[in-house]
Amino acid sequence: MTSKERVLATLNHREPDRVPIDLGGTSVTGIHISCVAALRDYYGLEKRPVKLHEPYQMLGWVDEDLKQAMGIDVEGVFPYTTMFGFKNVNWKMWRTGWGQEILVPEDFRTITDENGDTLIFPEGDTTAPPSGKMPKGFYFFDTIIRQEPIDEDRLNPEDNLEEFTPVAEDYLEQLSQAAPAAAATGRAVIASFGGTAFGDIALVPAPFLKYPKGIRDITEWYISTSTRRDYIHKVFARQCEIALQNLEKIHRVVGDCVDVVFICGTDFGTQTSSFCSVATLRELYMPYYKQVNDWIHKHTNWKTFKHSCGAVEKFIDTFIESGFDILNPVQCSAAGMDAAHLKAKYGDRIVFWGGGVDTQKTLPFGTPEEVRAQVLERCEIFSANGGFVFNTVHNVQAGTPVENIVAMIEAVREFNGMKSRGTHV
Amino acid sequence: MSELSKLYEAILTGDSKAAVAITKEALAAGTDPLEIVNTQMVPAMDEAGRRFECEEYFVPELLLAARAMKGALELIRPLLAERGTEPAGRVVIGTVKGDLHDIGKNLVSSMLEGGGFEVIDLGADVAPERFVEAVRERNPDLVCLSALLTVTMPSMKTTIDALKDAGLRDRVRVLVGGAPVTEQWAREIGADGYGPNAAAAVPLARKLIMK
Repeated sequence: MTSKERVLATLNHREPDRVPIDLGGTSVTGIHISCVAALRDYYGLEKRPVKLHEPYQMLGWVDEDLKQAMGIDVEGVFPYTTMFGFKNVNWKMWRTGWGQEILVPEDFRTITDENGDTLIFPEGDTTAPPSGKMPKGFYFFDTIIRQEPIDEDRLNPEDNLEEFTPVAEDYLEQLSQAAPAAAATGRAVIASFGGTAFGDIALVPAPFLKYPKGIRDITEWYISTSTRRDYIHKVFARQCEIALQNLEKIHRVVGDCVDVVFICGTDFGTQTSSFCSVATLRELYMPYYKQVNDWIHKHTNWKTFKHSCGAVEKFIDTFIESGFDILNPVQCSAAGMDAAHLKAKYGDRIVFWGGGVDTQKTLPFGTPEEVRAQVLERCEIFSANGGFVFNTVHNVQAGTPVENIVAMIEAVREFNGMKSRGTHV
Repeated sequence: MSELSKLYEAILTGDSKAAVAITKEALAAGTDPLEIVNTQMVPAMDEAGRRFECEEYFVPELLLAARAMKGALELIRPLLAERGTEPAGRVVIGTVKGDLHDIGKNLVSSMLEGGGFEVIDLGADVAPERFVEAVRERNPDLVCLSALLTVTMPSMKTTIDALKDAGLRDRVRVLVGGAPVTEQWAREIGADGYGPNAAAAVPLARKLIMK
């Protein structure tokens, strides 16, 4: 089987020749740039600065040589701009706080504040207020909340829709090349077009906008899902209309070069509970999910991918009813998310893309043997009858020992009965 | 239902305007501020916490209750301070160094305030030395440390170690919480307690203070 055939088999709940692997295909299935460099060194690949793929979480590009070394089966097609609103073009060198020389796009513009923290600017515009901050000595940016005072009488859903616009012509042009190029690798292609995430709390503060209006504070947004539900419905309804129009245009350009679309990263689970009730998911989110998924299933061959961290077991039936084909990151350590239970109850109806190894404890802090044991166990549980793409539970975090990442890859190979390297694609 | 007892309902349903109005009226009528805290605010936040634990309430409802409680508390706090009323306990709280996430920390802070504790909130991305300074100056009973990121969990240990180095560790109880934090991690780094969620923090804090 080619990588693409392998992934498509598993997405259609048929058992492939071996468990396919994604690492680096999306902004939620990737690897911190420091770990990408460590992996390149481990596999003895050409020494060169790693490109920053996603500046918010500081994810590194997994280049072709590293994909081959690790046996990756999935290729990513990425959004028009990054989380900070600039395009990934025209690379320049940048030295990180931990001393790594990396390549960043030209509009990745930062300053160091009086505390030694790194501040980054939306669209690279240093005349606008900074929208992200990386604390000194640490590894990720987080959003700087820019919330104008809220005047209840003047709240206008249009203010929360600034980021949802008709797809740019130059993005369509870019996709017309990027999608066929991704497909030509022989891997399955997962695309993150953007615009279909309803109320993703990472996107609500709009770190990509220079002067965001509307409800942008995280607490205020969560409260609004309860107290200003009509407002949120108006935002989602209009966003959905725009998204459907965009998907049509995008489909015309990329067609069947794409196999999977990352629809939404809104987190509904916490470690032990959830952000809302099943009733709220069904009333506030499901109508829009259903419209997007239904359109895709009616007009394309794409499978749809839903990311939600945390304890989401009680939501899975609703995700399935909403038309999602794939669930990620399958956080088995959260309440009610036991791997065997999930596979037994939902395994024939939804694909688990993730759940391969825990990234809060086992992968960063465990021993290589502990990593191996967990990976083998998860592959055993999740892979029967297909419906499983191996991926870590969310991105590989900074500071994860390279030996553990390698132990993870080796364990998938061991499970697949394939000890020799580099013969995947 | 007496006018004052409507405060319980206003907090529980997250009606900030009503909570403030009822509190103002009660204070103007000469109601003992401590009575307002003990008969209305503490039970209302306890009930909000209970509902959160059994999934009748979720994050938005808990945030709303906390906001209503805070509105009322702002009116009451200066009066309690004036008469030197002792709180249930004094807490220094913050998200540890390197971590800018504060929703969980804010919820714990509100639950503790609603539970009658005096809370000194140091904010997010708080360096160990700032915790040390706060413990030295404010003499709290408890220090609460929050982390959302896996990579900032070690900052909890650094903070506890800094308290030890400053000779202050024995003066306070240390409580930890946040998504990646576990009971086992709490034990490993030498914390006194771990709360799996915001609602659990209050009974745990009360228990630790009684010891």
